[in-house]
Amino acid sequence: MARSVWKGPFLDGYMLGKADKARASGRNEVIKIWSRRSTILPQFVGLTFGVYNGQKFIPVLVTENMIGHKFGEFSPTRTFYGHAVDKKAKRK
Amino acid sequence: MGPRVRVGVIVGVHGVRGAVRIKSFTEEPADIGYYSPMEDEAGGTKFRLKVTGEVKGLVIATLEGIADRNAAEALKGTGLWVPRERLPGRLAEDEFLYSDLIGLVVEAVDGKRLGTVKAVADYGAGDVLDIKLEPKGDMMVPFTKDSVPEVDIAGGRLVVVPPVYAPDENEERNGGA
Repeated sequence: MARSVWKGPFLDGYMLGKADKARASGRNEVIKIWSRRSTILPQFVGLTFGVYNGQKFIPVLVTENMIGHKFGEFSPTRTFYGHAVDKKAKRK
Repeated sequence: MGPRVRVGVIVGVHGVRGAVRIKSFTEEPADIGYYSPMEDEAGGTKFRLKVTGEVKGLVIATLEGIADRNAAEALKGTGLWVPRERLPGRLAEDEFLYSDLIGLVVEAVDGKRLGTVKAVADYGAGDVLDIKLEPKGDMMVPFTKDSVPEVDIAGGRLVVVPPVYAPDENEERNGGA
């Protein structure tokens, strides 16, 4: 078995506790996290995390296709908005 | 004259036959060709544009009536504007153009004015509104029906439910950011 398989995905220990707490509360709260290096796990789907980018917390609503990625991927530290005038935003 | 949007700007010339390099502000850079004819900021000059290629993120195009490099160089820095109604009109339900959302007044559910939409961004986890709060500060809100229950483009406003952060015991340890 490859080393990366038996070690499992990396996750900062406190993340699971935070997610469980938020889910148990039943409120639609944003969970502030600083751990950009943690892997997104299936049990995070549906929760909204505020991922710190060194300046502010970017809201990240976790969906199924984000599993396996790191939180930091969705919270860029260098912001460039671009100028796309005809780009469409879909309200989910 | 109705509202207009800037779809590009001429940033340089290409070759000796009057072609120009354009920084396109459309989602797909080459799509700028579909908005021809365009006009300059004052609205006095019309440009008929034909896209001939792309290089280093810029669009190469020829302009009708511009046939030599000197004439093309004189246009450097010129913005290319089109009327707002020329942008895609058929949008699905709950679909909005970035350019329509930017600048909208942001109100709370109780009608209190919070600020204005500074920018819209998609970092891979859905669209996020960057709101400039009044008198200072900013707030990022996911563009979802829960967080943004009402969008009134015609009225120039949208209603936002500010995000509630879960209490965090480690916040002080992390610098209280």
